[in-house]
Amino acid sequence: MNLNYSDEQNMLRDQVLKFCETNYDFTDREKILKLEDGYDQNNWNQFAELGWLAIPFAEENGGFNFGPIELTVLFEEFGKALVLEPYLSSVVMSGTLLEGSSLPHKVSLIEKIISGESHISVAYAEPSIGYNFYNGTTSVSEKGDDLVLNGSKTLVLNAQKSDHFIVLANKNDQPCLVLVDKSSDGFSMLSFQSLGGQTCGDLTFENVVVSPDAMLAEGDAAVTLFNSMLNVATLCISAEAVGAMAASYQKTVQYTKERQQFSQPISNFQVLQHRMVDMFIETEITKSLLIKATLQLDSGDPEADKTISALKVQVGKAGKYIGQQAVQLHGGMGVSDEMSIGHYLKRFTVIDSMFGNTQYHLNKFQAS
Amino acid sequence: MDISFSEQDLQFKEEIRSALENEFPTHVREKQNQGISLDKQDMIDYHKFLYTKGWAGYNWPVEHGGTGWTPVQIYLFLNELAIANCPTILPFGLNMVGPVIYTFGNQEQKDKFLPDILQFNTWWCQGYSEPGSGSDLASLNTKAVLDGDNYIINGSKTWTTLAQNADWIFCLVRTETTNKKQEGISFILVDMNTPGIEVKPIITIDGDHEVNSVFFTDVKVPASQLIGEEGKGWTYAKFLLAHERFGIAAVPVSKVSLANLKDKTANLQDLDLDRKIAELEIDLMALEFTELRTLAAIVDGAHPGAESSILKIRGTEIQQRLTELYVEAAGQYILPYEGPEGFESNRSPAGPDFASPSVASYLNFRKTSIYGGSNEIQKNIIAKAILGV
Repeated sequence: MNLNYSDEQNMLRDQVLKFCETNYDFTDREKILKLEDGYDQNNWNQFAELGWLAIPFAEENGGFNFGPIELTVLFEEFGKALVLEPYLSSVVMSGTLLEGSSLPHKVSLIEKIISGESHISVAYAEPSIGYNFYNGTTSVSEKGDDLVLNGSKTLVLNAQKSDHFIVLANKNDQPCLVLVDKSSDGFSMLSFQSLGGQTCGDLTFENVVVSPDAMLAEGDAAVTLFNSMLNVATLCISAEAVGAMAASYQKTVQYTKERQQFSQPISNFQVLQHRMVDMFIETEITKSLLIKATLQLDSGDPEADKTISALKVQVGKAGKYIGQQAVQLHGGMGVSDEMSIGHYLKRFTVIDSMFGNTQYHLNKFQAS
Repeated sequence: MDISFSEQDLQFKEEIRSALENEFPTHVREKQNQGISLDKQDMIDYHKFLYTKGWAGYNWPVEHGGTGWTPVQIYLFLNELAIANCPTILPFGLNMVGPVIYTFGNQEQKDKFLPDILQFNTWWCQGYSEPGSGSDLASLNTKAVLDGDNYIINGSKTWTTLAQNADWIFCLVRTETTNKKQEGISFILVDMNTPGIEVKPIITIDGDHEVNSVFFTDVKVPASQLIGEEGKGWTYAKFLLAHERFGIAAVPVSKVSLANLKDKTANLQDLDLDRKIAELEIDLMALEFTELRTLAAIVDGAHPGAESSILKIRGTEIQQRLTELYVEAAGQYILPYEGPEGFESNRSPAGPDFASPSVASYLNFRKTSIYGGSNEIQKNIIAKAILGV
């Protein structure tokens, strides 16, 4: 029994913390928000130089062979600073799918992710299927030796910067995952800004021809692979939420100590003290489920699915509570765009919406 | 990071489990399983069973007759007791006054009291709260005045759990009126048979007689029964509060209760109830792992302080929500009132068998967020110690 982070993991945390302190105060972040890409390419290059883009990949693919623990360390720190760079989509999501795939040229694709040269996004959502990602209508058919892709995807993270997309589609009524080059004929994309400042895209495929070599997985293998990606991605945004929760209650404590009303700091008022204690407790409780889920994913425990759902429920509820109370205790400043605190509330709202919201995961937890 | 228990610890757990399966006193087990409340003799039999197994001093050091178990072993032991549906160990002797005596008492006091506490030859109760001193415990006003070799005690204590069964009471008393109210408090042991002590029942809203008022009128107590130094009682009381970290969250008991609730409500097809049960299960899972984090910190040599307040707050909230869900599941069938003595004329009311006990538990468990430092006091502790406000 030992819940301490290793020296290596602590070093990683310190490194990310230092990076965020130097490059990611709220003014830095405001500038990044104005960039067309939705993030700062210089930061991304630094991520590559620091080796962060190699974290989850196996050594034989040029990675550090780190796992869920290191990813949660990274994301917790990202969450505190509200980091905008597309680590989730370009490294965690596409990386997990590529690494678990049978794609013949996956090593060269992974190398380009690690070097920061290439972004790949995963396209899974469709307009009217909600969180039932396997119910989409995008389909792959065979035409001679080639495959032809038709349909559309939406809410694709960082689409405008990605050169390839991993598309969840159907082939003979079975789910499959297929890699599509954005320069393919019949491919089109419409990029838009997402809540919180990152970019998203709608993709359309009209008779897009792809080689059979572009198939990552089919049938049950595709489902297993995609589900495991969803688990890791959910874990990462949950860790991000835990970081954002810690920052939210700490910033709130700080603010109430400074803010004077009725000739005293408002932190003197017990009603506010207890509210902040509740925010602290919710943060710690969420962290407990985060660690539990992380260790279960790390060890391949079959209970991990259920714990991930429990975690996502807790993240949804606690994020909403902490985000709202942080705004409330900041008073009018809490709803000002020029203060960071409201941006945490935005991020909690986005995180709850991703990969199944509170209601969805509560249903899943009950059914498991 | 690794949350698994060692082979040795798992073997330890198995030994406890099989001993409980085979040796747990049958008459106590049967009452427990049927939800019948235990009488004084049952509780004595149960605690004497613990002593016979060598488990009574489960969190005491070996030199004082305890097991010398590691924090992990203590954790596993308490878990197994709950899984086997054992009664909660009475804390007053084993967890409260015992550790104070072996830590701050003199040799004579250790020799006199510790063996009887371990063997459960004496039933202890706690004399802390007073009518005018609840959350502000240090304002207590029961006075002990030295008169030759004796203290003369006057005043009253309240909410004294199971004082009607107790042989001894440990009390916080005021031996001096000082500017700082914490400084004039002393810790003294009193034989309940001493003349001048009167115990009056307080009946709680569930109809049960669990707590009492204890009145002291010119009660003469040998000065040799004062623990440690006069005026240092507050320090000992604080030590005592910090001593019991596990168990405060009642996680294993709540897990058993939740499993029973799921079992009993499975055929109700009440989707709204099922959803609330699922939400509670998630909260309980989170609390259990929070307790494991505390355990891991202790194993690592840390001394968690205010963090334990999270366990108290969350643990009692979950206990209370569980009792609420039982009541919700029982619906209208909570109406027939079953007093502590059972139904009048042995009538067997309509509705599920858990209906009547559930409402008694619901009412009784309102105490959990009030006792042991109310949840509001726990939040004050966290606000000050962790948030620094």
